[in-house]
Amino acid sequence: MDLGYGQDREQRMMRDRVQTRWQSAYAPVRHLDPVLVLTALALTGIGLVAIYSAKHVALSSQDLPTTLYVTRQLIAMIIGIVAMVVAAVVDYRHIRTYAPVLYAIGLVLLVLTLTPLGTEINGSQRWLVLGGFQLQPSELVKLAVLVSIAAILHESQGKPHIGFITLSLAITLVPTGLVFLQPDLGTSVVFIWLTAVLFLIGGVQVRYLVGLLAAGVGAIVAAFQAGLIEAYQLSRLTAFVNAGDASAAQTAAFQTRQSLIAVGSGQFAGKGLLEGTQTSLSYVPENHTDFVFTVIAEELGFLGASLVLGLFLILVWRGLRIAILSKDLFGTLVASGVVAVLTLQVFVNVGMTVGIMPVTGLPLPFISYGGTSLIVWFAMVGLLLNVHMRRF
Amino acid sequence: MTGPARSRRFAAPRVRTTSGAALGVRRIRWTLALFAVIVLATVGKLVEIQVLNADAYAESGIRQRARTVDLPATRGRVYDRDGDVLATSVQSAAIYADPRAFRPTETPDGTEVPAAADPARVAAELAPVLDADPAKLEQHLDDESHFVYLGRQLDHEVGERVRELELPGIGVIAEPERVYPAGELAAQIVGFTGIDGEGLQGLEARYDPVLAGSPGMLVFERAPGGLDIASGVRELVPPEAGTDLVLSIDREIQYVAEQAAASALEEFDAAGATVVVQEVATGEMLAMASAPGFDPNLRDGDEGNAKWRNRAVTDVFEPGSTQKALTVAAALEEQTVESTSTLEVPDNLEVSGKRFTDAVRHDTETWTVAEIMERSSNVGTIKMAQELGDARLEEYLRDFGYGRPSGLGFPGEADGLLMPHESWWGTSLPTIAIGHGVGVTLAQLTTSYATLANDGRVVTPSLVRGTVGEDGRLTPANAPDERQVVSPETAREIQAMLERAVSGEDGTGALAQVEGYRVAGKTGTARKPAEGERGYSNEYVATFTGFAPADDPRLVVGVMVDEPTPYFGGLVAAPVFSEVMEAALRARRIPADTSGQDLTVAMDTARQRVVEELATAAVLAELGLEHEAPGSLPVGSPAGGDGASVIDVDEADDADEVDGADEADEADGAEDPAGGPAEAGTGSEATDAEASGQAADEQGADDP
Repeated sequence: MDLGYGQDREQRMMRDRVQTRWQSAYAPVRHLDPVLVLTALALTGIGLVAIYSAKHVALSSQDLPTTLYVTRQLIAMIIGIVAMVVAAVVDYRHIRTYAPVLYAIGLVLLVLTLTPLGTEINGSQRWLVLGGFQLQPSELVKLAVLVSIAAILHESQGKPHIGFITLSLAITLVPTGLVFLQPDLGTSVVFIWLTAVLFLIGGVQVRYLVGLLAAGVGAIVAAFQAGLIEAYQLSRLTAFVNAGDASAAQTAAFQTRQSLIAVGSGQFAGKGLLEGTQTSLSYVPENHTDFVFTVIAEELGFLGASLVLGLFLILVWRGLRIAILSKDLFGTLVASGVVAVLTLQVFVNVGMTVGIMPVTGLPLPFISYGGTSLIVWFAMVGLLLNVHMRRF
Repeated sequence: MTGPARSRRFAAPRVRTTSGAALGVRRIRWTLALFAVIVLATVGKLVEIQVLNADAYAESGIRQRARTVDLPATRGRVYDRDGDVLATSVQSAAIYADPRAFRPTETPDGTEVPAAADPARVAAELAPVLDADPAKLEQHLDDESHFVYLGRQLDHEVGERVRELELPGIGVIAEPERVYPAGELAAQIVGFTGIDGEGLQGLEARYDPVLAGSPGMLVFERAPGGLDIASGVRELVPPEAGTDLVLSIDREIQYVAEQAAASALEEFDAAGATVVVQEVATGEMLAMASAPGFDPNLRDGDEGNAKWRNRAVTDVFEPGSTQKALTVAAALEEQTVESTSTLEVPDNLEVSGKRFTDAVRHDTETWTVAEIMERSSNVGTIKMAQELGDARLEEYLRDFGYGRPSGLGFPGEADGLLMPHESWWGTSLPTIAIGHGVGVTLAQLTTSYATLANDGRVVTPSLVRGTVGEDGRLTPANAPDERQVVSPETAREIQAMLERAVSGEDGTGALAQVEGYRVAGKTGTARKPAEGERGYSNEYVATFTGFAPADDPRLVVGVMVDEPTPYFGGLVAAPVFSEVMEAALRARRIPADTSGQDLTVAMDTARQRVVEELATAAVLAELGLEHEAPGSLPVGSPAGGDGASVIDVDEADDADEVDGADEADEADGAEDPAGGPAEAGTGSEATDAEASGQAADEQGADDP
């Protein structure tokens, strides 16, 4: 009996051990994606250096600590890592459940920016100041819209009927309109793009996709006809085409020209860290935020610029891999949505600095100075991790 | 720890794939193509900017960023042969304003920058320091430019005071100012610089690249808006100081020469006077004096001015009788005559239908070559030249330096004029033999005498002994070219004849004597060609060229007085020679070669004789004029001074022209330039040195 018991116990324990090993093999924490996390951290690190390089001259000439922006960005990074952990730990199916709440909060904050509570910088009312910290709700809303539409499309299991599609459109168009009013054209485009990619991958029938595309083009034409888009916005959008012309006096063309000079003068190997004259002497405007890529391109040259683009490509690869590996449509949608937003922002931002895209205020993910953006990007990495960890 | 229930929970989803997810995965592939396009577009553009066209972008970046400030190099000094400073640079201040500081501006990104200061207030503060009108200053501050000078070449202290005011938008630049401590001394040789330190005249222009050094450069980084210099100096190229120049000029001799030239100018009411002192052995110019002179420190403007001309190299004149020594030397060298041979010399000679006469009427005499020289007989010299022939006369004159650059390389230097003998016509040989129809500069004439004094060996003349670089050592100039023109024997024979021309009983250069030294030399008087027309004017050039001590010549002095009254070389130029030669010999510490015989009496006697004979000559000239060539006056020294040269030379020349026209157009054309540039050189004050030199060059080129 003893023996029997003992034998039984031994066998049971062995069985348990094997089972535990199997279980732990599938434990979410064992399925982190280190490549993804390290790439994100590497990009953030490059961003910190670039921000320092961009601003140290200007800050020291104003008698401010040269690490002012870097310190703030570091704090944002720490918060971002916390957000990433949170976004990874909570099972994404719960997140799916709470998507409406997330969306509601984001929308309220976004509306608040348009009230007198919002802060206007450079003619655009995008920020809420909360206890010394500037919050940019439109970044948060990106996340909320992504999760919300993914949730709806997940519910329709690849065959969304017209009601779901309409709901999704409403969900995206409300914040798009609000952001457009700030005005922040770039982020509005991000919302539209995100929705389009989610619709495509979420299984919206091709006929609806074509119909929406036609409607979108029609809306843009109508907007021009009705004069909703102001002349300065249009000239801003087209100015980059003339950037090569030195006589172009418009601000946007000036920015693009200066940006091109900075990127070009980096040449192949760059001028060396902190040696960038075009950027550190403030020839390039907004060189720690929207034009941060010029700092990298000038100081680290084509090699550095390629490295950054390569790191982004790694993110895209890991993201798409996660989208494919996901065990359900929601995971696929969330992952491919993150990749879609990332790709668009990198392309629009880098394209802007090299003169193939208009100057719009879209930050470069992980690199541009901007706390909210960084935190949200880490949260998105958290979502990717979440989907990756729970793919079984 | 974990029960089966838990593991089931984990195991369950593993196999579950929804059809929706599968569709999604399929559609992800659709997006891949889009991503690829985006990536390719971005990277492609990046390659274009950063690799293919990177240089252009880098270039335009540097252009908009760099602010370059020129750092002037310290210009080299100019010293005389003993190290006395003739030209140097001192630090002066230039005050400038950046008018942008006085109006509000905007940086490219739209930030307003208020005006840094009120122009009226700044102008009021600056005015007393700069000693300027405040209203005018304020006007400058309102200028539309980025940079405007408020004052230049101001005292260093003024600059310091402006700096102390610390006015916004006002700056001080240290700039060098050229000063000439010796004032008028050697002013035409040294020349001067413009306000930016560039050599404009004389050796300052000739040696500008050497003296100037190379300016340095300070490159600042400029922030957008251009007002503040953010990160300071990026690049400093220090200026390289100019090299110092050591001239062969002896300050002491130069001074005496200038004084002598100036007093001759005054005494004889002349248009100009030039004195050259040259060292026989080295060909170095010890003095080149031109009167009237000027003070380069006080000159106004950079416009041409006749006083700036170094007449010794720019002014071409007919040497007249002084050239006879060269003609005779050629004849002796070619052994067409011996120094002891005698010639039948009538007082006139007809060549190609023209009559050449001696200055003094005399019966047909039998003279030795030496006597011909002593009396400066035109007829005798012409006879010797006829034996010699066209080709050889021209060859020798060219060997003596006629019609070619002297080698000094002075700006605006004239080559002189000597037609090739192929273009000569009937009267050319006799005319040229006695120094007419040819043009030389005083430097050329002096060098030809230096050749005779140097036993027939020509040493290319020079003005610059060498340069002194940063190491403080003298780098000697290239050794001068040397070549034998006539044999030492011939040269010595001529030296002896020239000594007789000064000290002989019938010598024409009696007033050239120097106490304690035996002197050799020759006078000359030539009519100046008429300005703007054919023939000769009523103005003369008086010359004297000679060397001392006679038995071991060390120095040559050439004197040319332009348009003197009276005009006889023996009376005008010889005393100047005597004065300069004496001072030069003493300055060079050349031992006396005769006992301290007092010359005062001898000189007085000589003067007496010269003046008497002058009167005779004048009478004779009148007679000759009436009787032989109405409308023309004698050329050359009169009986007294220059025993010979004569009534008829000019007549001959006038005739030449007529004949020339008959003979050949080109010959005629060639004769004209012979007169033209010479006249341009010695004549009008309006013609500047440069133009004269060019004219001579062009004409020379036309000759063949």
